[in-house]
Amino acid sequence: MRATVRSHHRTGPAGRHARRTDRDRERDFVIRLQNLTKTYKTGRHDEVVALADVSIEVGKGEFVFVVGPSGSGKSTFMKLLTREQLPDKGQIWVAGKNLASLRSWKVPALRRDIGYVFQDFKLLPNKTVTENVAFAAEVLGKPRREIDRRVPEVLDLVGLEGKEKAYPHELSGGQQQRVSIARAFVNNPRILLCDEPTGNLDPTTSVGIMKLLDRINRTGATVVMATHDQHIVDSMRRRVIELENGRVVRDQSRGVYGYAG
Amino acid sequence: MSARWRYILAEAFNGLRRNLMMTVAVVLSVTVSLTLLGASLLLSDQVDLATDDWVGKVEVSIFLCDGSTCPAITADQEEQLREELEAEPVVAEVFYESKEDAYERFTELFKDQPNLVESVDPDILPASFRVRLHDPALFGVIAEQFSAYPGVEEIVDQRQVLDQFLSFTDVVRNGALIVAIIQLVAAGVLIANTIRLAAFARREQTSIMKLVGAGNWYIRLPFVLEGVFAGLLGALASWGLLYVSVPRVAGNLAREVELMPFIGATEVLLIGPWLIAAGVGIAAFSSIVALRRFLDI
Repeated sequence: MRATVRSHHRTGPAGRHARRTDRDRERDFVIRLQNLTKTYKTGRHDEVVALADVSIEVGKGEFVFVVGPSGSGKSTFMKLLTREQLPDKGQIWVAGKNLASLRSWKVPALRRDIGYVFQDFKLLPNKTVTENVAFAAEVLGKPRREIDRRVPEVLDLVGLEGKEKAYPHELSGGQQQRVSIARAFVNNPRILLCDEPTGNLDPTTSVGIMKLLDRINRTGATVVMATHDQHIVDSMRRRVIELENGRVVRDQSRGVYGYAG
Repeated sequence: MSARWRYILAEAFNGLRRNLMMTVAVVLSVTVSLTLLGASLLLSDQVDLATDDWVGKVEVSIFLCDGSTCPAITADQEEQLREELEAEPVVAEVFYESKEDAYERFTELFKDQPNLVESVDPDILPASFRVRLHDPALFGVIAEQFSAYPGVEEIVDQRQVLDQFLSFTDVVRNGALIVAIIQLVAAGVLIANTIRLAAFARREQTSIMKLVGAGNWYIRLPFVLEGVFAGLLGALASWGLLYVSVPRVAGNLAREVELMPFIGATEVLLIGPWLIAAGVGIAAFSSIVALRRFLDI
């Protein structure tokens, strides 16, 4: 399987939006990193460069895979987007906010624009499916009536109707990940960040999860997914950003996981 | 109540229940420290009560004979004594207290002990001249000059009596205050540690809340309330403890120590708000400090 490699060539958002002009896209960026560098101190003088001079732009409604081996900077990239980490150098904009200068009391507002899906689901074990999803809306102080209307809607979207009263331990891994996606999506975020969402799932279940993420992407949400799963990346044919040692070594629309061979 | 507040309160109470042993330890430690704090406050009240304005103002009491132990003072002698006292350069002020005045002041002072008041015949309290000096140390001058006067029964240096009493109560009160403060710091550290453990136990939930975009205070308030509630319980317990014990102790002392007024239940009730403010304050402060680093975004 051989792919055309167009490294550092700015490709348009995949699929339906491919024919838009650059000018249109400028306005529609939801994620933009400019010459961003992030290092971690590992000792008094030692440091590890997690991201080195990285520039990435993600448009509204795009579906992006971020691939690369462990330690390539994927996790740091995701943490920077939610402002769990601050960059050392460079600029980063997410959902119209400049994160380098964002005041810490405004961080909750940023995170309301972002839904987060974890590899290990991170569901609260003592809450039912409905309660787990409603929890994300409750902590934002949404009115009860709106929550009662919205939660069944989202559970329906992720295909969990009939499981509303089940507890996480009564569900399969795939079902738990659907709950986690419902929770990430219940507040209608502009961006869905998925950190290895299929990492704990078998291939068949993973396909179902990817169909769901695709459906959510079609509602207009931007999806950024960090993954190791070669089959999934290859079958989806979406934009692929490959990181290696903290650098972007490939940014390709309709890409596959790796080079042939 | 909105869903938001219901969540915050439910979380706070769940936290207390889950950590029952720790909650008990916090409540007990707050109780002990605030009981000591309350005791030292009450001791101050006791001192104020025992040294009322009159006693505080007067350094020398010159008791006058009423005929029971020495020949009663005549009106002329009394007049002469007053004139000579007022002529003394060391004397600042002279008050006359008649037998009736003395009885009135006595009944006022001991209004909480009606038995004592009943047992005292209005007639046995002597009349006196009460003298304030420019310099309290010059008591000797007055004692020397007037003790042999006809009609003078006894001259008492009130300042000396008072100073002994005050220095004793000061030591006790300061001791109680110091122990109370040390205990209060210990209680604060215990609360901080408890809240930190609670936050650690629920870190999964808080990390989800953070990523969903819950506000800082929405995440913290359940933990702070958990600490504050334990502090409040401790404060109420110490208040109750003092309310039950202090009037009883004071009652027993009043029977032992004659001629001194003692505080009662009213004074204990009045310090309650201070105890609650101290308990809630220290709990809120330590909880917030404990969460400051742990739950930062």
